[in-house]
Amino acid sequence: MKVPWTWLNEYVDLPWETQEAADRLTMAGLCVEEIRYEKLDISSVVSAKILDVKPHPTKPGQKIGLVDTGTGEFQIVSGAPGFAKGNIILVALPGATLPGGLKIEPRGLDGVVSQGMAVCSNELLNGQPPRPFEDIILLPPGTALGVSAGQLFEIDDWVMELDLTINYSHCLGILGVAMEAAALAKRPLKLPKVLEAWSWAGTYGSIKPESYDEGAPDFKIDLPEPELCPRYVGKIVENVRFAYSPVNIERRLQLAGQRPLNLVVDVTNYVMLETGQPLHAFDADRIAGNTIIVRSSKPGETILTLDDAERELPENTILITDASGPIGVAGVMGGNTTEVTEDTKRVLIESAYFDPLTVRLASQKLKLRTEAALRFEKGVDPTAQAAVAERAADLIARFSGGTPVSGYAETNHLNVEPKRIVLHMRTVERLLGETFSPATCREILERINFQVEESNADTQEAIAVTVPPRRVDIHEEVDLVEEVARHYGYDSFGTGDLSKAVPGGLTDPDLLCVDRIRDFLVSHGGLECITNSLVNPEHLACLGWESDDPRGNPVRLKHPLSSEESVLRTSLLPGLIGVAASNIRFGIQGLFIWETGRVFFPAADRLPIETRQIGLVSYGRLKPKTWLGGPEESGFYRMKGVVDSLMDLLGISDVSYLPKAGMPFHPGRSAKIVANMSTVGEIGDLHPVCLKHLDIPVPVTACWLSLEALLAVVKPKEYASLSKFMPVERDLAVIVPEEVSGGDVIDSIRKVGRHLASVILFDIWRKPPVPEGHKSLAFRLLYQPQDKTLTEEELAEDRERILEELRQRYNAVLRS
Amino acid sequence: MKHNLAEIEARILHEISEASTNDELERVRIKYLGKKGEISALLKHIGNLSPEQRPELGAAVNTLRNKVTHRIAQRKDELDTQALEESLRRDTIDVSLPGEVFEVGGLHPLTKSLREIISILSSMGFTVYESREAETDEMNFVKLNVPHGHPARDMQETFYLTDNALMRTHTSPGQIRGMLAMDGRLPVRFIVPGRVYRRDQTDASHHPVFHQVEGLAIHVDVTVKQLRGVISALMNRFFGQEVTVRLRPSYFPFTEPSCEVDISCVFCKGDGCSVCGGSGYLEVAGAGMVHPQVLRNGGYDPDEVSGFAFGFGLDRLAMLKHGIDDIRLLYGNDKRFLSQFRGI
Repeated sequence: MKVPWTWLNEYVDLPWETQEAADRLTMAGLCVEEIRYEKLDISSVVSAKILDVKPHPTKPGQKIGLVDTGTGEFQIVSGAPGFAKGNIILVALPGATLPGGLKIEPRGLDGVVSQGMAVCSNELLNGQPPRPFEDIILLPPGTALGVSAGQLFEIDDWVMELDLTINYSHCLGILGVAMEAAALAKRPLKLPKVLEAWSWAGTYGSIKPESYDEGAPDFKIDLPEPELCPRYVGKIVENVRFAYSPVNIERRLQLAGQRPLNLVVDVTNYVMLETGQPLHAFDADRIAGNTIIVRSSKPGETILTLDDAERELPENTILITDASGPIGVAGVMGGNTTEVTEDTKRVLIESAYFDPLTVRLASQKLKLRTEAALRFEKGVDPTAQAAVAERAADLIARFSGGTPVSGYAETNHLNVEPKRIVLHMRTVERLLGETFSPATCREILERINFQVEESNADTQEAIAVTVPPRRVDIHEEVDLVEEVARHYGYDSFGTGDLSKAVPGGLTDPDLLCVDRIRDFLVSHGGLECITNSLVNPEHLACLGWESDDPRGNPVRLKHPLSSEESVLRTSLLPGLIGVAASNIRFGIQGLFIWETGRVFFPAADRLPIETRQIGLVSYGRLKPKTWLGGPEESGFYRMKGVVDSLMDLLGISDVSYLPKAGMPFHPGRSAKIVANMSTVGEIGDLHPVCLKHLDIPVPVTACWLSLEALLAVVKPKEYASLSKFMPVERDLAVIVPEEVSGGDVIDSIRKVGRHLASVILFDIWRKPPVPEGHKSLAFRLLYQPQDKTLTEEELAEDRERILEELRQRYNAVLRS
Repeated sequence: MKHNLAEIEARILHEISEASTNDELERVRIKYLGKKGEISALLKHIGNLSPEQRPELGAAVNTLRNKVTHRIAQRKDELDTQALEESLRRDTIDVSLPGEVFEVGGLHPLTKSLREIISILSSMGFTVYESREAETDEMNFVKLNVPHGHPARDMQETFYLTDNALMRTHTSPGQIRGMLAMDGRLPVRFIVPGRVYRRDQTDASHHPVFHQVEGLAIHVDVTVKQLRGVISALMNRFFGQEVTVRLRPSYFPFTEPSCEVDISCVFCKGDGCSVCGGSGYLEVAGAGMVHPQVLRNGGYDPDEVSGFAFGFGLDRLAMLKHGIDDIRLLYGNDKRFLSQFRGI
């Protein structure tokens, strides 16, 4: 919300510079986001008296006048009705500038020179020609001559931009801000006369003045659905003349971000900005049957709104109707047919209370987030309707010469009982950690127009607080604690420490394990990534996951921002492969990346299933060739090595790799990872088809592991006592048919060998003398006996046992 | 004979000095001290001498033998030293050549920052509670005092999955789940780190997926003062400098009183710069005293206990700490970016 400084200071004399005021308001919860000096480029526009006027010789309607600026006389040509002898007007002198870069120079009109220009409001504020029926600015008689426009009017001013949180609906009018500022500055609030008479700012809200003339306005308000519109006030002003608003009003509206239109509409906006109560003005003569009926919309109903748009009304919209049909969308926008025009003579000012939620939904559905809607949906003062309508009527009458009709038409189902809340000093202390006396709380609360009495409710120190009805955000005791705290100053409390140990916390022991895994991956060269968990379903398809695969059936967002981020990831691989692809595009030669995070699968009638995964992806050259060796290339076996080491770290010993994982893997270069009889993940090079779909020009290796599955089988290693006996190494090479899998051979050696600490495959040889279709596998066996020194006989025996097993299982022959 | 001995001694000592290897030296030793060596022969020869001649000459030969023995040992030391020096010279390498580099990976800056935060807060007794990312409308909003149609829903554009399921817009539903998991026990003190989701278009400071760290502390005497104490300690240690913490009144439906947490700008120390927009302050968190209704929803009695809650934007903290000016870098995972955070 924009708050012009001069406007604010009309209600309270602030002892501060604008910046200090902004800081103080901010620290009281009214966040001032920005302060700006708003300046119009106006020069050499001064007051002048018309000394004499005569008609233009050839141009009908144009007049030639001699004006006196106090320091000189100028000849001005003008056709404005107000350009008459004796009037004091504003004149733009030769060389004057007006907003929009307009420059005034002497000019000829059919042979008559006009040295300057008699200025209207639209020219002064916008640099635009007069609007229909717009007269030049007429200054009050007695105005000094030669005074500049900037001194005569509030043109240049500071504007504070407030970013109000939704609880401060009472500050959606400048008067509300002024009340807060007055409390902070300990200065009195100066209310406009009408509002003062209605005690608008009082603890009990607006109250009809005793001397009020009830009158008998000839208008009916019918509220058949009080839950949608419980209160509606219609105030009539007669004999309205069409006019534009005074310069100061137009300028204030501009500074506050509203476009001036005409006096009546401007006044409704002005009073809304002043009080926070939205108003609407109808041309009363265009309301059929002198009756307003407020009801909810019927299916298929439409309305032509003020902005000339034919709108279909969403169901359950509150409508202002007359005998002929809808004439306004309540709290959102008025209708076109009852709009105030140049011909309007009788105005009905609507000042109502509409159900906040219903207004909010209607405004959202219609996509009309008007200033009125933004105020109604947060809740307006339910007592202020009549007072505010009177204030508007008074302004219209004052500026346009209209006559307010005594009294107002009203239907009111609201019975506002002021809220009374007992505030215990113990509660204040319990939350703020500071002791407050009832007197301090009282002083603070009374300054913001709460009423405070001593509480006799119980023995504790407490005060009874009556909450003004405009404070729709105050419901209970803690809300009052906040009021006290923010006016006292949050930063005036000290700092405290949390005491007391926390014996029973919530830390998940798995988290330590996950951190160990992260550290392990870092120490093995992996860069951690954090990728979007919203992914492109097309990428899932590119990885070969169709609807027959759970990973091809992701949870979908109802209203995604784009299709690229429209489903929840079912695997970490699409994100990581995307990272690989973008790094390849940046010319990165090689990469080993990983991520841990959640993946999601749909569950019928429940929240999606969330499980945690580890994803690993690598491509290219991980380390360049150096004079010491290398290069180190990524690939299946390198990644498998990382996985093997990880399994070892986690104490998972029973791990096997079953050939051939599904998509997105290469069928001949991938495996399912099985630990303790259950699949915990997959590893492999990506299928060439996937690479092609994703436009990736180099081989990529990937692996995913289910973190939940791993954590289920993690086994901390048990300590084994250290052997006192020397280890012995022996080599063994066998020739087996090509189709025999090396892993099986290793497993067999491990199974039948005794005292074996490790079996390392150190060579594979496929060339002569190894026969065609065969391969030689060379192993280094490390024996580590626990309880004796192995004899040569025992070693030979073991070798023979292993060979026999390999002969029988794999047709293996000893390579000598 | 005596005259002869002096000559022999001079010759032997010369030969010893001439020996340039241990082998040559050994040959010299055998030649003179060996069983059939010249000095051994002299000693035998003394036995044939007359008793008058024997003592004098015997002593002279023994002296010679000792001298030679000593000199050989000395020469051996010299040769060993020479050989060692030679081998040291031979084995000398060019230490200026590059070593065998082992390239370690690195944690993502968000993970690093989170670890620091967890470590600081765990020293104050906070434990870690991981809550789910897909949530019910009930947990994400209603239980946090944001009923349907509440204007506060405008503050957070939501990704809905169904009418009732959504991606959490903040880590605050973790407050409720955590409280329920604590089952009425006291004190409650935990943090909820994790991903949150908002329907925001991506730009330099917005990403539809980002991270928060929620904190909750409940006990019989938890106050705003302690909230400030915890936040000050966290910020000072996280940024490694003394920062001023400012609590600015604000509004959240699930806290009352509520505040925004501002810290003095870590770049300009409060003087005003482009990062803090000239204000000297940086907004880093929302916080407040847990609303009574939220306490009730978590199974705690607001008349018995009080609590504070805070929510930091992890991305913002990491960006401020490392001077990263565009949130997209955090989710772009460019190797050149990630590699910079490998250090401690």
